[in-house]
Amino acid sequence: MKRRTAGWLYGSIVGLAIVAAGGASAVAGELNFLGWEGYADESFVKEFESATGCKVTATYVGSNDDFAPKLASGGGVYDIVSVSADTTGVLVAAGLVEPLDMSKIEHWNDIYELFRNAKGINRDGQVYGVPLTWGSIPLMYRTDKITEEPDSYAVLWDERYKGKIALWDDKSAIFNTARLLGYDNVYSLTDEQLEAVKQKLIEEKPLLRKYWSTAGELINLYASGEVWISNTWGGYQVAELQKQGIPVKEFLPKEKADGWADNWMIVKGSPNQDCAYQYINFTTSARGQCGISSVTGYSAANPVAAKACMTSEEFEAKHQDDIDYVDSLVMWEQPDRLDVYTNTWNAIKGAE
Amino acid sequence: MKLATRRRLSALGVLAPPLLWTLLFMFVPYAIMFTYSFYRKEFPIFIPDFQFGNYLQLIQDSQYYTVFFRTLKIAAAVAVAAVALAYPLAYFLVFKIRSPSLRAALYMAVIVPLWVSYLLRAYTWKTILGSEGVLNSFLVWSGILEGPTDLLLYNQFAVVLTLTYIFIPFVVMPVYTALEKIPRNLIEASQDLGVGPLRTFLGVTLPLSIPGILAGATFAFCLTFGDFVAPVLVGGPSGTMIANVIQSQFGIALNWPLGAALSIVVLIIVLSIISASDRLERAGRLNLG
Repeated sequence: MKRRTAGWLYGSIVGLAIVAAGGASAVAGELNFLGWEGYADESFVKEFESATGCKVTATYVGSNDDFAPKLASGGGVYDIVSVSADTTGVLVAAGLVEPLDMSKIEHWNDIYELFRNAKGINRDGQVYGVPLTWGSIPLMYRTDKITEEPDSYAVLWDERYKGKIALWDDKSAIFNTARLLGYDNVYSLTDEQLEAVKQKLIEEKPLLRKYWSTAGELINLYASGEVWISNTWGGYQVAELQKQGIPVKEFLPKEKADGWADNWMIVKGSPNQDCAYQYINFTTSARGQCGISSVTGYSAANPVAAKACMTSEEFEAKHQDDIDYVDSLVMWEQPDRLDVYTNTWNAIKGAE
Repeated sequence: MKLATRRRLSALGVLAPPLLWTLLFMFVPYAIMFTYSFYRKEFPIFIPDFQFGNYLQLIQDSQYYTVFFRTLKIAAAVAVAAVALAYPLAYFLVFKIRSPSLRAALYMAVIVPLWVSYLLRAYTWKTILGSEGVLNSFLVWSGILEGPTDLLLYNQFAVVLTLTYIFIPFVVMPVYTALEKIPRNLIEASQDLGVGPLRTFLGVTLPLSIPGILAGATFAFCLTFGDFVAPVLVGGPSGTMIANVIQSQFGIALNWPLGAALSIVVLIIVLSIISASDRLERAGRLNLG
């Protein structure tokens, strides 16, 4: 019996070693994606897989803050990441992503210049990211429960909706609240301003039902009647909820909503670079841009592709013809003192 | 080769794998974590160093006290609630059920939930406690409440309830064992001397089962202390526990040194609670010897 136990233990150790080795050296022809829901949806991934032979495996994140820790813990697990422009700079600075070989990027010149030139993906004359989609972070509410049409972030502090409010578990809450308090320098707040924002957000806690962190979680909170109003990933959750017959509506608050642009980046040392470049080209082509846009409701970063595959109504509804719309949003940037912002957000969540 | 040498070698062969396992997967990781706790956070990630800034930060920034205190409170509540529910159950099983096969079946019924995924059981509570959940629907249907209440889910109450439910088997097992080991003639002696059932329980059964209670309560307390799933699933905006903070230091905040320092503090707290409970248990045993 004892010998058998020992043998079993040896067996497990050998087994673990095999698993570990298998994990480290990935087989060619696969692509491990880490990023936002909808960017590797079955509806178009199947097509990509059969055309290229690259098998796509997707892992989803709940926040842009998930990328650096997952990549920093190493192991060569992921090949490609989809990162919002406020976080791309951190990954570049930390050396977690590779500079891109621009000769392999097919649709670069079709992409909106504003996103191509973003500070977060350009460094020392090298390009680290390919813009994929963009959109806003509006507020969303149940039209059957909230009849008075809201127009401001202040609605998230409305006593009447106590216990029915949810907030995204993300440091962007600091940006929005800073604008509500009338600060324009949302990415370079002073200590006093940050303290005021913190107090304001702690004051909101008794009114909150939940800090939500994934698209699915927020959809469930609305569908089960727990939440009536929250911020949301523009276009995505609202469409899912409407499909389920839940009456919800989005609006841009008068303080201006956050805007974002997501970018493809290739993880440093990825053994599947060929598949990665092929996937970047596929998703920025007409087929990929519309595939993603119809799943997520987000706007396409490549208007040439969007024009080719969207109906004119959709093209207009997604503001593809007017990039000035972006000016009505406050595009995310990396805060000057990222660590202080992150710590402030943690302190808010930890408070009573 | 001599027989003794050969025996020693074979003993080593049997012992080596578990020892190696413990060394590789317990001591080495703890040592790495301890080392990290002296590193320094520096944008964008962190750099090796030897300084006490992380521990100092835990003392200076009040956000960590708040969360530590809350975690202690929730862990204590779960330990007390789990013992309060598990003790009568174990008592009933040991003393009131006459048929051994029925007793074994009921004991299994308590243990079986452990085979179901923790996540699944936590999710079940969401559907029971939600605004449109089973409990609220019943309360409104029966007229006890006029409208559904939000007080059942997404708060510390829900966390305590869920964790108590999940950890009850861990308390039933040691209490059951302790009660089963009590010699029946001690109870009979007490009864023969004309002592009533309540005083027999308080004077004989309860003191003799204290080691089981301590072991169970320690299980529930320590498992709760390190839990980070229940606060995420059923906890509210003010339900963050220490393991969530550690998780966010290793995640969002990308401050592994601070996360390591926090983990070391948690490790010290849990180890001191385990050794305190162990000492109490021994002291109790000697007194009753």
